[in-house]
Amino acid sequence: MFQIVTLTLLEGFRHTLRLFFLTLLFSLPLGLLISFGSMSKLKALKGPVRLIIWVVRGTPLMLQLLVIYYGPGILLHNNIWGSGDNGRFIAALVAFVINYSCYFSEIYRGGIQSIPIGQYEAGEVLGMTKRQIFFKVILLQVIKRIVPPISNEIITLVKDTSLARVIAVYEIIWEGQSYIKSAGIIWPLFYTGVFYLLFSGLLTLLFRRIERKLSYFR
Amino acid sequence: MAILEVRNLKKSFDSVEVIHDISFSMEEGETLTIIGSSGSGKTTLLRCLNFLESPDSGMIKVKGEELLCNETLSGMSEKILRRKRLHFGLVFQSFNLFPQYTALENIMLAPTLLAKSDSSFDASGIEDNAKQLLDQMGLSDRMDNYPHELSGGQQQRVAIARAMALRPDILCFDEPTSALDPELTGEVLRVIKDLAGKHMTMIIVTHEMAFARDVSDRVIFMDNGIIAEEGSPAEVIDNPQNERTIQFLSNYKKNI
Repeated sequence: MFQIVTLTLLEGFRHTLRLFFLTLLFSLPLGLLISFGSMSKLKALKGPVRLIIWVVRGTPLMLQLLVIYYGPGILLHNNIWGSGDNGRFIAALVAFVINYSCYFSEIYRGGIQSIPIGQYEAGEVLGMTKRQIFFKVILLQVIKRIVPPISNEIITLVKDTSLARVIAVYEIIWEGQSYIKSAGIIWPLFYTGVFYLLFSGLLTLLFRRIERKLSYFR
Repeated sequence: MAILEVRNLKKSFDSVEVIHDISFSMEEGETLTIIGSSGSGKTTLLRCLNFLESPDSGMIKVKGEELLCNETLSGMSEKILRRKRLHFGLVFQSFNLFPQYTALENIMLAPTLLAKSDSSFDASGIEDNAKQLLDQMGLSDRMDNYPHELSGGQQQRVAIARAMALRPDILCFDEPTSALDPELTGEVLRVIKDLAGKHMTMIIVTHEMAFARDVSDRVIFMDNGIIAEEGSPAEVIDNPQNERTIQFLSNYKKNI
């Protein structure tokens, strides 16, 4: 039995990890674009971007999942996600990417704006181009400052992926819970927690290592 | 011929005129000190010369080349702007060293980048030159230290070396010791005095009156965006004629 449960949960965890990594892959860069938008001097760009960030951060991710999955079908009579497991997974991915991009964008913005203006000015009077100042002077300082908040957000994402079950993405908790109905046992549900703990533990070690790598300067 | 000529420079922020029609010139090898109370426009003047602020109008000429004549910086291409501002070097009040680079790397970064984009800039001597500058600042043993491992005085000396690495025609100091305690102030002032002895052309904004008298060839007293008095240290500091200069210096008399 233990072996069967393990294999089933592993299959669920595969979906969890897929959602996790694909969300990061798209939302980390997209967040940077959004942060540039929210810092833009163009009011026509900055306004709408900040409005979107407010809405996305101000409503539950669960609600966003439901609206993004059911919305197009019911409002536009066009289920753009298609039917089947794959369609639901893509809808979940889109919701997660939008949600996490907005959170990441605010972390980026905070990091970029926390760099003293003197760093830019020092680069300017030394005849450096804007590009050189950003990539050679500013970027690493920003990365150092945002590693702790980003790692926090990423560890939250590990657990947030379980929300995808609300639109029937068969992630690990869905699989664990299925044993309550089918076999009347609850220990597989506890067992899912072990997967989360191990994985977030691994991430914690990774981020600690990055932080230590960047501790040579202040 | 004057190495620097500034004519009718004006600068306002919103509707507040910070620099009101300033003209002066300086000779090669001269040390010019600008004194005056806070808000008199000294720092803004330096920032205009270094193109960190765009003057509203006026002319800046270095070695006979007009860098700016009644135009704003926004109308200038970034490339031309960068080439023109290299006539000046600037040492900041708060050092502004790059924290992720060692002392030596701080000095080498800008010349290395410049050599990559501009083939006329010689890349071979950059490291030797940087080491030599650190040596001149008395910091040879500190070249591999990061800024946070250095004292404020040491950081400022690295910043001076960094500003000199691009061999500017005129080196500007914006209150270089204001962020330092008296003990560390001395070591930075000694370095600047040493440069004056080597006839580096310098403009120094400072509140260190004894130092200004000691090191300057000429002193400018600024008040409300204009040059209220100008002359040798003996004239301006020891025997001021202008009412405002007398009033300003009376705050220092006890200390000099």
